[in-house]
Amino acid sequence: MAKQVGREQQGITLRGSAEIVAEFFSYGINSILYQRGIYPPETFTRVQKYGLTLLITTDPELKNYLNNVVEQMKEWLYKCIVQRLVVVISSIENNEVLERWQFDIECDKTAKDENEPREKSQKVIQDEIRSVIRQITATVTFLPLLETACAFDLLIYTDKDLAVPEKWEESGPQFIANSEEVRLRSFTTTIHKVNSTVAYKIPSH
Amino acid sequence: MDDFENNTTVFSALRSLNNFISLEGVSGPPTPGSSRSALQIQYQQRVQMEEQAGQIHSKSQLLQVEREKMQMELSHKRARIELEKAANTNARNYEREADRNRELLTRIKQYQERETEAENKLKEQMEMNKSYKKSMETMSKKLQEKESKLAEANETITVLKGKISELQWSKMNQEMQMTSQDSQKQELMEQLDVQHKKWQEACQQIQMLQANQSHLAEYEQKIKDLEQKLSQQEHDALIVKNMKTELARLPKMERELRQLKEENAYFREMKENNGLLKEEVEGLQRKLERYEKVQAQLAAVELENEKLLGKLKSWEKVDQSTGLNIRTPDDLSRQIVALQQRELVLKEQNSTITSSARILEKARVQLQEDIIRIQSQLLEEKKKREQHEALVRRLQKRVLLLTKERDGMRAILESYDSELTPSEHSPQLNRRMREAEDMVQKLHAHNTELEAQLSQVLEEVGNHKQRAEMEHSVINFPFFSRQKIEELEAERSKLEEQNRSLEMKLEKLTVQGDYDPSKTKVLHFSMNPASLAMQQRKEEHQQLQEAYERLKETVRVLEGGGSIPENLEGLGSLQSSQEIAELKKQVESAELKNQRLKEVFQTKIQEFRKVCYTLTGYQIDITTENQYRLTSIYAEHQGDCLLFKASSSSSRKMQLLENEFSRTIRELIELHLLRQDSIPAFLSALTLDLFSRQTIA
Repeated sequence: MAKQVGREQQGITLRGSAEIVAEFFSYGINSILYQRGIYPPETFTRVQKYGLTLLITTDPELKNYLNNVVEQMKEWLYKCIVQRLVVVISSIENNEVLERWQFDIECDKTAKDENEPREKSQKVIQDEIRSVIRQITATVTFLPLLETACAFDLLIYTDKDLAVPEKWEESGPQFIANSEEVRLRSFTTTIHKVNSTVAYKIPSH
Repeated sequence: MDDFENNTTVFSALRSLNNFISLEGVSGPPTPGSSRSALQIQYQQRVQMEEQAGQIHSKSQLLQVEREKMQMELSHKRARIELEKAANTNARNYEREADRNRELLTRIKQYQERETEAENKLKEQMEMNKSYKKSMETMSKKLQEKESKLAEANETITVLKGKISELQWSKMNQEMQMTSQDSQKQELMEQLDVQHKKWQEACQQIQMLQANQSHLAEYEQKIKDLEQKLSQQEHDALIVKNMKTELARLPKMERELRQLKEENAYFREMKENNGLLKEEVEGLQRKLERYEKVQAQLAAVELENEKLLGKLKSWEKVDQSTGLNIRTPDDLSRQIVALQQRELVLKEQNSTITSSARILEKARVQLQEDIIRIQSQLLEEKKKREQHEALVRRLQKRVLLLTKERDGMRAILESYDSELTPSEHSPQLNRRMREAEDMVQKLHAHNTELEAQLSQVLEEVGNHKQRAEMEHSVINFPFFSRQKIEELEAERSKLEEQNRSLEMKLEKLTVQGDYDPSKTKVLHFSMNPASLAMQQRKEEHQQLQEAYERLKETVRVLEGGGSIPENLEGLGSLQSSQEIAELKKQVESAELKNQRLKEVFQTKIQEFRKVCYTLTGYQIDITTENQYRLTSIYAEHQGDCLLFKASSSSSRKMQLLENEFSRTIRELIELHLLRQDSIPAFLSALTLDLFSRQTIA
């Protein structure tokens, strides 16, 4: 973070952009987990970020898992080989996928060869991120209630030629059989553009 | 100071003058001759001296004058100062005077004002005076009137005085009357006193009478009371008689009372027993309810069991009917997972097929474009051919013309030849001929070349045609361009629509999370929370399944009837190991407690027995049930003991059993047991007997 602040005058570099986006994912996933009640609310603590009060988990196992994924994400974002991150919320009972929070990432691969940073102020990006996170918080009003106990999984769509790292494995896309989709706001660091969508199972009754 | 100096100079000059004069007197008449010159000198000297003196004198006079002048100036100055002072004082005086003058003027003015005021006042006073005079006149008139009134009043006063005297007279008369009346009143008062005394006496008499009357009433009352007492005594006598008869009955009553008391005690005991019984009944009822509940639960359990059996059968049936390897829900879920995977594979295949279809579509479009291009080429080639054909025709015409020309030229040459002599012109002509022939040959060559080109072009055109036809035949499209274009247009629009719908689908799918498997792969962390949760669930499921199996087994055994220890074990094993451990612990602690209690009891019993032995002198042992052996502390032989037997455990009646020792103490038995019916007395007597025997011994 300190590095980014230092670079603020210079604009956005590829590394800085990857860090910003990875950080957004960390806070976004935490917000989703809190808002959707995947983990009990007492395991979350308040922090100030993007001019908002956000909740992040204190569960050590979950923290460890998120850190692992976000660090890997950062690396892949830097290499511009990641296309999408999906937070899949599924019922533990019957493994049915109930919600998919999809973050499409458009990488500007030309930034890899450029040395000059892009012109965009940190503040504008943060404002954009803030509105995305606000929307995530607001979606609770229309998303159907999760009636069963649920767990979540993070899927990352990468380029085909990527070698699968240790502890990772290939997975199915985990579609929702009968879904409704809502597009959320997007933000861009001029190098990475993140489009957010949430898809949820249409309640049967 | 200057003055003093000046003074000194004056004095010194005077002295010198005096000295000089004295000198002249002393010398007298000087001698002539020598003295003349001396005289002269003296004279001269004197003259000089006089001159000097005169000078000094003038000088001193000057000095004096100057001094005077100085004094004058000084005095002048003083005078001036004094004048100035006087002037100042005068000016001050003048100012003071002026001030005073002003003050005086102001005073004068004030006085004048006052005067005018006083004049005004005077006028007013005068007026007032006049008015006063007028008022005086009126007042005097009034006064006169008043005086007349006064005179009238005096008259009335005299009249009134007369009246007063009359009144005084009448008053005197009245006073007189008053005195007479007073005397009358005194007389009356005396009479009243007498009367009062009489009344008091009468009152006393009345009181006496009343007292007598009250005494009388009291006596009457007493008489009545006595009469009443008499009657009461008669009543009492009657009652006493009755009581006596009742007293005769009393012992009987007491006996009855005792009986009743006993009965009462008995009933109380009964009541307590009854309460105990009621509690027991309640306990039993509760137990009954519990048993009923248990029975109801049993029925429910049976029902459930039946249901479960039905389900199991249905599962088995499913297995039979489908022919699949489905025995358990696990198998089914595995089957479903497999199906889902197959579905996914199919989906992937589908997407690959659609992509290949898209590629083919693209190839087709390219081919169509090729066809159009080739057709246009064909048209061009045709045009070229026509051009070539036209060219050929033109060339042929030209060749014809040239041959004609040549023929013409030949004819001309021949005519020339015929006309001219061959010797002269033949070389020339020959040359020309040769040249012409060369030309012709060249033309021929050119012609052939052109013809070859033409044929080539024709060939090419044919090739193109063939190719085009071939391609047409391949795509099965008629060569009729308009129709084809229409068809193609229709196809295009259709394809566009398809394309649009496909794009829409693609977008929707991307929103739903679809991806191109040829370019993308989906990764996730192998130890993600969802899979962990699933695993946990699976384990739980397995555990539950096992528990279910066990339960089923137990239910089957229960249905079979009989409670076999295996069953119980099964049931026990169903309870969680924790519970078992707890129970074991409880049992252990209970056992420990029991053991401790036992130990304590043992020690206590030992202690109790010892105490009994030392206190009563008998050791009591239980030989068999309801049989007690007593050994005295003073027994002569070890085998000397008494055997008592309790007739039954509850009653306290004891029977002495006969043995060798008992036979020796018949007397004591007869006395204490048979007659007195008291075992303690018997035992005490025995103890005393034995003790006395031992001490004697």
